Parts: sequence; C-alpha cells; structure tokens
Amino acid sequence: MNPIDNVTFEVLDEIGVICLDNPPANELVIPGFIPVAIFKEWTDSASLKGLIIKGAGKNFSAGGNLDVIFKTADHPDILQSLMRDGLELLKFIRHLEIPIVAAINRVCFGAGLEIALACHIRVASANALLAFPESNQNLMPGMGGTAMLPGFSGFSQSAKMILGGDMINAADAKELGLVDFIAPKDQAFEYALTLMQKMTHGRPVKVITSIMKALKNSSDLSQDEAMAEETKLFCSLALDEAMRRKTSEA
Amino acid sequence: MTLQWTVEQGIGRLTLHQPPSNTMTMEFFRELQALMQEIALLKPLKAIIISGSGRHFSSGADIDELLVSADHQTMLENYRALVLLEQLTIPVISAVRGVCLGSAFELALFSDFRICAADAVLGLPESTFNLMPGLGGIQRAAALTGKAAAIGIILRGDTFPAEDALRMGLVDAVVPKRNLQMISMAFATALPVNFVKADRVICLHKFLKPLHATI
Repeated sequence: MNPIDNVTFEVLDEIGVICLDNPPANELVIPGFIPVAIFKEWTDSASLKGLIIKGAGKNFSAGGNLDVIFKTADHPDILQSLMRDGLELLKFIRHLEIPIVAAINRVCFGAGLEIALACHIRVASANALLAFPESNQNLMPGMGGTAMLPGFSGFSQSAKMILGGDMINAADAKELGLVDFIAPKDQAFEYALTLMQKMTHGRPVKVITSIMKALKNSSDLSQDEAMAEETKLFCSLALDEAMRRKTSEA
Repeated sequence: MTLQWTVEQGIGRLTLHQPPSNTMTMEFFRELQALMQEIALLKPLKAIIISGSGRHFSSGADIDELLVSADHQTMLENYRALVLLEQLTIPVISAVRGVCLGSAFELALFSDFRICAADAVLGLPESTFNLMPGLGGIQRAAALTGKAAAIGIILRGDTFPAEDALRMGLVDAVVPKRNLQMISMAFATALPVNFVKADRVICLHKFLKPLHATI
C-alpha cells in the first residue's frame, strides 16, 4: 500500500491541512505516516502561515498498524529504517518555522499521539481519548513517545501512562499538560482552524516565523543567547514595519 | 521624569509616571537604567514594588517612537535596563492594575513576583501591529507557561484578564483591586532579607498565600 494514499493535503486560506485518511481509525501504514520529502514538498510555500494535522472522519488516529510492525520485525533493518524515517518526520515537524497544531477528535493512540506531541500546539475535543497502549502488546512507544512525554507531564506521570497503557480523557490530558486547548465534542478541527486564523490572519509570514524562531530559541539556546536573538529579530521586524508605514504615507 | 522613586519603610516604590497610560518611552528606559545602577549601590532595600501611576500599570512602549528609533543598539540598552532590574539582589514585585501590555508586561515578567488586581488586563499584542515582543518577553512567557500556550498568546496578540494569566502561570496572584497596594506592601515586608531567586515558589506559598487568604 502506498502511504501517500492515506494522507491528504489541502490549503484553506493560507493554512495547510494535513489529513490522516485511513478510516475508520486512520491507522498509520508506516509509522511516520508520510515521507519527509513529500511533507516538505506539500508545505514548502512562502505564503503558508500555519499547518493543522487532523484525522479523517471521527478519529484522529489509532496509531501504527501492528500487522505491518510484526511482519517487518523479522527484518530488523527494514523496521529500523521505517522508524528512523518516522523520527526524521517528527523532528522536521517540531522544527517547522510556522505553527503546527494537532486537532485531536476521539481516538489518539500510540504513533498518533507521538505525531500530536511533535506538533507545537494540541487541541483535543472534549470526547478525545489519548493513550500509549503499546505495552499491552508487549511493545513500547518507538517514535519518540518516551522521550517527549516527560517534557509535558513529568517522569512519574509518564511512567504511569506508558507502563499502564491506559487511556486518559481530554480533561485529564489537559491537567497533565499533554493538550493545550479543549474543544467541544468532535469540534477539534473547527477549534484549531479558528485558533490558527486568530494567530495568523493579517500577519506577515515573517512576523510569524520570527516569533516561532524566538520561541524555539527558548529551549534550544542559553537564556542570554535567546534574549539577544529575540532583540535582533525584533529590530528586523521594526525596520520592515517602519518602511511599510513610510510607504503607505507616501 | 517618566518614573517616580520613593522609599517607604525600607521598601522602594518605583512608579511608572507618564499619564494617562504610562507609556514607556526611550526616556523612561534611560531613567530606569540609571535608577537601577544607582539602586545597586544604595544601602540595602528590603524589596522594590513597581506600579503605575493612576488607573493603569502601563500600555507599553511608544510604538511610533520605537519605529523611528528601534535600532539594535537602542533595543539592547532598553533590554539592559530590564536585566539590571533582574540582577538586583533585592526581590522585585510588580503590582499590576489596569492595562499591562507589551513592554510593560515584559517589565513585569522580569520581576520576581507579579501580583494583579482583578481588573488587570495583560497581553503581548506586538504581533497585531506586525512586530513581536523584543525585550525577552517571549523567553520569559515560554518559561512560565510552556511553549504551546506562549505561541497562542503571542501570535494571537489578544489581551486577557488577570484570572487567565494566573491560570497560565504568568502571574502569581489575583487580588481585589482595593487590596492590591496593601497586599503588595505586606508581602514585600514579609519577604526574608536573604531572599534568593531560587526561593521564589517557597516565598509565594509561605508569605503570599496566607496574606491572600486572610484579607
């Protein structure tokens, strides 16, 4: 099966929408759901101001397809290379310079949750359910889940969630810091789109990417370096805006 | 003068004074920097409380002035004023009522403690006029509330009430407007003389919470 058959991309008024489209549960045929090269090609547009990842139909995604994983497990190098591709994609998503929001309705398990955690913001519907159920199948998260989760919910809560393999609801996920906004039942995408429009509408792309860069610096650079960079980025925007005002006066 | 400085009972009172909304001009940042250098040499103060003159804390930087003169050197000087404030060994409390936007919110974020009146309105609205916070506000906001929430408030650029800021961890307490000065002063007085920044959270629990509960 061609993985690209199970993912669609469209642009809604400067916002790119990536849809995991393998109903009913939007299982991922390959862990990384789409090759990085194609993801880049789709999203490589100077006019794009934000991205949303959602699932087709009722659910976000139930995660990786276990059959595929157990079948390829006989060929360790193939499975490892599939997982590496997945990791590379999630890294690319994390480092995007435009905001990317995961819009989570209902089921969001395993690799689906790993994709969501790699996004910059998570919106979950009130009826969303999140889990790392891998340990129930004698597996574990394999695409960065164990590395990312403690950054959101701390070591002990992460251990409980990954070892226990239990589902948590949206309200508990918000409490734990796994999701940032709760949308009404089944309305995660609509909520995410409104949020994205409020964040990007009317803003020059450079304002958005400068702010995202400065935010990324808050974890990637020392505090002194991050602050110095912030001031530089600000001055560049101020120069642009001063020019823009002069031009509109003339 | 764009700021007023008095000392009451060992507590320094720094008041942003540029009515009606205490706009932060280049002159303000120069005066702030000079004051901070002076304070560092003064006989020890117990704490500093920053507030705004009149109904508001401050509406932030003077954008028109900023766009004419925001070269990197000027911004670094403004930033230096906030760093000097932060480097004081004295605890600094921002007592916020009315609007506290943009650079003013950044100033508050450089303080050790933020106490808000219930009517306070906060925000980093720079992106709505094609700019961004430039004095370290992005770094501070991300550290206090996490990156995802920070992206939301900074890119949307909308203002929010004190209660929301409290929920996001951006401020430490919300108190009735009429009690703001009293609680800030009582908290400043209660703080230990050997305050260190690492004890921030302990001090909140030990000294601010009880005040909040009794008043």
